[in-house]
Amino acid sequence: MEKEFKGKIWKFGDDIDTDTIIPGKRGTIPTIEEMKKYAFELLKPEFGSTVQPGDILVAGSNFGCGSSREQAATVLSGNGVRCIIAKSFARIFFRNAFNSGIILITCDGIQDACEGGDIVTVRVGESVSVNGKTFPIGQIPENLLAIVEHGGLIEDTKMRMAQGLSHDWNPELDDAARRKNGYTLVEKILKKNAGVDHVVPGDIVITHPDMFMIHDIYTPYLKDTLEKMGAKKIDDPDKVTIIFDHCMPTAVAHNDYVHYDAGIDIAEKFGIEKLHIGEGICHTIMHEKRYAKPGEIATATDSHTTTYGGAGCFCSGIGTAEMAAALITGELWFKVPDAIKIVLNGHLQNGLMSKDVILKILGDIKADGGQYKSLEFTGPAAHEMSMNERFTVANMALEAGAKCGLFEADEKTAEYYEMPLSEIDWIRIDNDAKYEKVLVYNLDELEPQLSCPQGVDNVHPISEIIGTKMDEVYIGSCTNGSIEDMKAAADILRGKHVPEDLRVVVVPATNYVFEESIRLGYIEDFIKAGCVISHPCCGLCCGMPYGLMYDDERILLTANRNFIGRQGTKKTLSYLSSPKVAAATALTGYVTDPRTLG
Amino acid sequence: MSERMIERLLGAAAGDTAIISPDHVLVTNGSSHAVRGYVSKAAAPEKVLVMYDHNIPSGSPEDAKIFGEILRFAKQYGFTFKQAKGIGLKYLADEIVKPGQIVITGTRHAGIFGASGAVGFGISSTELSRVIENDRYELIVPKTIGVKVTGTLPENTGMIDAALSFLAAHPDLKCKAVEFIGGDLSDHDKQVLCSMACETGAVTAFWTEEGETETVLDLAEVVPMLRMPCSDILHQTRAPFAPASYVEGRTIQAGQIGGVNGGAIEDLRIAADMIEGKKLKLRFRLTVCPATSTDYILAAREGILTKFIEYGAQISAAGDHSIVKQGAGAMGHGELLFTTGMFTFAGCMGCDDATVATASVETIIRASYGEI
Repeated sequence: MEKEFKGKIWKFGDDIDTDTIIPGKRGTIPTIEEMKKYAFELLKPEFGSTVQPGDILVAGSNFGCGSSREQAATVLSGNGVRCIIAKSFARIFFRNAFNSGIILITCDGIQDACEGGDIVTVRVGESVSVNGKTFPIGQIPENLLAIVEHGGLIEDTKMRMAQGLSHDWNPELDDAARRKNGYTLVEKILKKNAGVDHVVPGDIVITHPDMFMIHDIYTPYLKDTLEKMGAKKIDDPDKVTIIFDHCMPTAVAHNDYVHYDAGIDIAEKFGIEKLHIGEGICHTIMHEKRYAKPGEIATATDSHTTTYGGAGCFCSGIGTAEMAAALITGELWFKVPDAIKIVLNGHLQNGLMSKDVILKILGDIKADGGQYKSLEFTGPAAHEMSMNERFTVANMALEAGAKCGLFEADEKTAEYYEMPLSEIDWIRIDNDAKYEKVLVYNLDELEPQLSCPQGVDNVHPISEIIGTKMDEVYIGSCTNGSIEDMKAAADILRGKHVPEDLRVVVVPATNYVFEESIRLGYIEDFIKAGCVISHPCCGLCCGMPYGLMYDDERILLTANRNFIGRQGTKKTLSYLSSPKVAAATALTGYVTDPRTLG
Repeated sequence: MSERMIERLLGAAAGDTAIISPDHVLVTNGSSHAVRGYVSKAAAPEKVLVMYDHNIPSGSPEDAKIFGEILRFAKQYGFTFKQAKGIGLKYLADEIVKPGQIVITGTRHAGIFGASGAVGFGISSTELSRVIENDRYELIVPKTIGVKVTGTLPENTGMIDAALSFLAAHPDLKCKAVEFIGGDLSDHDKQVLCSMACETGAVTAFWTEEGETETVLDLAEVVPMLRMPCSDILHQTRAPFAPASYVEGRTIQAGQIGGVNGGAIEDLRIAADMIEGKKLKLRFRLTVCPATSTDYILAAREGILTKFIEYGAQISAAGDHSIVKQGAGAMGHGELLFTTGMFTFAGCMGCDDATVATASVETIIRASYGEI
C-alpha cells in the first residue's frame, strides 16, 4: 500500500451524518453502482457526477454520525474516495470505512488551512500537508491498515478463510471472575465474553457475539458480500436472526422486493430459522423474543442496536461487510471504550417519560458527547424505570455517538427475562470503576424536552417550543412504540378528537404491541380520535413512506432522528418528543405540554 | 314499460335531459382533487365533502402537498374536510347517504350508492368543478339494462368473481345504467355489484327488488375470475377479463384485500374464516386494507385483525390503496399481484412491469396459502 499519496480536497463541516452522505430514501437501492451517484445529493448535488478516483474528503468533527448504514462508506469508496481527514469520526462509520478500503485520518487543524479543490499530501502515520502547511497525524492500528492493504474486509476475510478458521477461543469468564470489582459495565461484559481477566479502555478484545441480527435494509448487500467472500456456511445459524422491518411492508417499488427476496434467500441458504417477516421493528423484537440477553453480546446491522443495553446487554451496530465476516468467523473485535456514568436521581414527574431524560442528556452532551464511549446509567430513577423506559434511553444513547448505553441488571431485568437475579446481578456499577466523567441529573426538576430541527442534539425544554404549529404527529418507532408508549398516548387521546387539519399516524413497534393494543382498546381509541394506524415497521422514523412530509411542513415524532430530509423533503422540519408530548400535541395541533391537560 | 330506477330518482325518462341538484358532492385526493384548479365559487358549499382517503398515510412528499392543497381548498370555500375515515365512497355509502339521494363524485365506482336506493355519478374533474360552482348537473338520462340475478355462488368464488363475469359478458356498457334485480344478496354483495358495474363504461348502477329483465347473471355459473392488466389508466375500462386459471403455473408474489369491494367487514370476515388453520406461504406477501375506520374497528373488536396479524398479513391504514406508486404493498419488477382493487394498469401498484390483476377475496386468500 502506498504510504504517501496526493488527492484533491472536498471540504465538509461538522456532524456530517450518514443521511447527508447518502439519504435514507436512497438506502434501499439494490446496488452501490446505482446508489453512488446520490452521494451528498442534498448537500453537494454535484459530488456524485464530478468526484474523481483518489479524491480526499476533509471534514470537521463527528463525520459519519447517525445510521450504521455501510453504504455511507461504500458509496464513497465506490466513487473512488481514497481517504477522509476529519477532526473525529463516528464509531460505526469508522469501522465501515476501513472495511471498505478507505483510510481515515484524525487531524485537527488542516480544516482551517484548506478549501475545496486544494491538493493535500498524505503521509500515512506521519502527517498531512496542504498549502505549505504540515500537520502531524497519529498511527493507524495495524489490523485496520491490513484490511485496507488487502483491499477491504471482503478480501481480508477470504484470506482468513483460506488459511482455515479456528474455534480456539478463550472460554467465557466464570461467575466468580465476572464479579471482580473495579470495572465499568462495558468492561465487565466484554471481558466476560472475550474470556480475559482484565481490560482497560483502548484494549482490543476479540469477542464471540451471542446473537447476530440482520435487518432487511442490508439483506441484498449481505447476500452479495457473503457470495463475494465465498461463504458456503456460517459459524452458527442458531445465533442469527433476520428481521424484515424497514422494507416490509414493501413500499418502495423498485427496491423493497429485492430486500425481501434476499433475506429469505440468506435464511434458506444458511439454515437461519429465526426469521421474522413483517412482525415489527428489529430492536424491539430482539428483546421481546429474549434474543438479546443481559450480560451477553449482541450485534446487528443497525445503529440503534444499543437498545438492548437497557437490559445490560452489550450491543453495538456494525456494517454489512463486517457482519458477513463475523457470521463466517463467529468473531468480532471491539475496542474497549471509555465510559461515562450517568446518575439519575429523583423521580420522573407526571407528564414526563424516559424519552425526556435521554433528550435532555443529548442536548447537554451533544451528538458527539458519547463518541466511542459507553454511557452507563444508574441511580434511583434509573432503577425506577420500567424495562421499556430503559430501552428507550439505551436506544438513543447512540445519538450521542455512544458505542453502547447500558443499565444495571436488577429485579426488573430478571423478571423481564424470567431468570434468577443471581445470574445477572454482576451487571452492576462498581464504586471503584474508573469513569471518564460522571453526570448527575435530578429528574424532579426535569420538564418535557423536544429535539428541534435539524439535529437530535438541538434540544429545548417544551416551554421554549410551546405552541408551535404541527402538520403531522407520528407515534411509533423502536424508541417509543412499546405497549407502554401506546398506553401513554391512548390515555391522552381517548374520547377526544384530533383537529381535521392534523395528520396523526400511529405505528405499534411490533405485532405483540399491535395485538395488545387491539386487545386493550388502544387502537380503537386512536381511530376514534382520528388517527391512522400502520402495520408495525420502522416506518417514517427511517424515512419510509408512512406519512412523508412536504416543504416547510412540521412533524412531531416519537422517533429517534430528525436529520435533514429524513421525514420528507430537505425543507421539512422534524421535532422529536416523548409519546405524551406527541399525544398532547395531537389533540391541539400545536406543541402542547401534557402536564397542562386536564 | 315500467319506470326504471334512474328515471324515478332523476324524475325524467330515458333520453330526456335531467337537471340535478345533488345532495352530496365528494372530492378526494384520488384524482378529483384536480377540481381545485377550476373552481372559483361554490353555490352550495354545505353539500361538498373533501376527503383525504387515498394512499394513507402519505407515501410521498407530493401526497402531503396534496393534503395541504385540498385542506386549503376546503377552508377557502367552506366545504367539510375529513381524513382518517377510510374510503370516502364507502364512508358516504355506509354512514351518510340516504335512499333517494344523489351523489356526484369523480370516480366511476359511484355506482355503489345504487345498492341502497340512492344514485351516484362519477364525472370528470372539469365537470365536477361546474357542479360545485353551480349546484347543478345536467345529463341525458341513460337507458337501463336489467340484469336478473339468480342462483348461488359456487365454493371458492365471491361477488367480485360474479361482477367480473358480468363485465366480461358486457364489455361495453357506455351510456347505460345497470339494474341488478333480485337474487339472494347481502347488502354488501349489492354494493360490490353496483360499484363494479361501471367498470366497462356504464353511467351508474342500482340494485332493485323487481324490474324489467334484459339479461341474467346466474351466480351458479360463476368461476374465479381476473381482470387482467392494461397499458394505462385511460384504457382501464377496456382491460380484458380471464378466468383465474389463466395464470396457472405463474408465481404470485403478493395479494391485497381492500377497497370498497374487498376491505369491508363482510370481506374481512370471509378472509378470516378462510385462513383458519392455514399457513401463509413463504414468499407471498398479504396486505389487508380495511375500507373504513368503522370496518377497521369492527375487525379489531371481532378478533379478525389479530387473526390476520398472526397469519403474517400486513394491515394497512383504512383507506383506498388501489393505486400505490409508493407505499405499503408496492410491487417490484416482474412481480404479480392479485388485488381486490379495481385498477390493473401498468404501474398502478409500483413498478411498470409488475403485473396487477383484480381478483376476489376468495381467490387471493387461496393463493396466500398456496392453493392457487
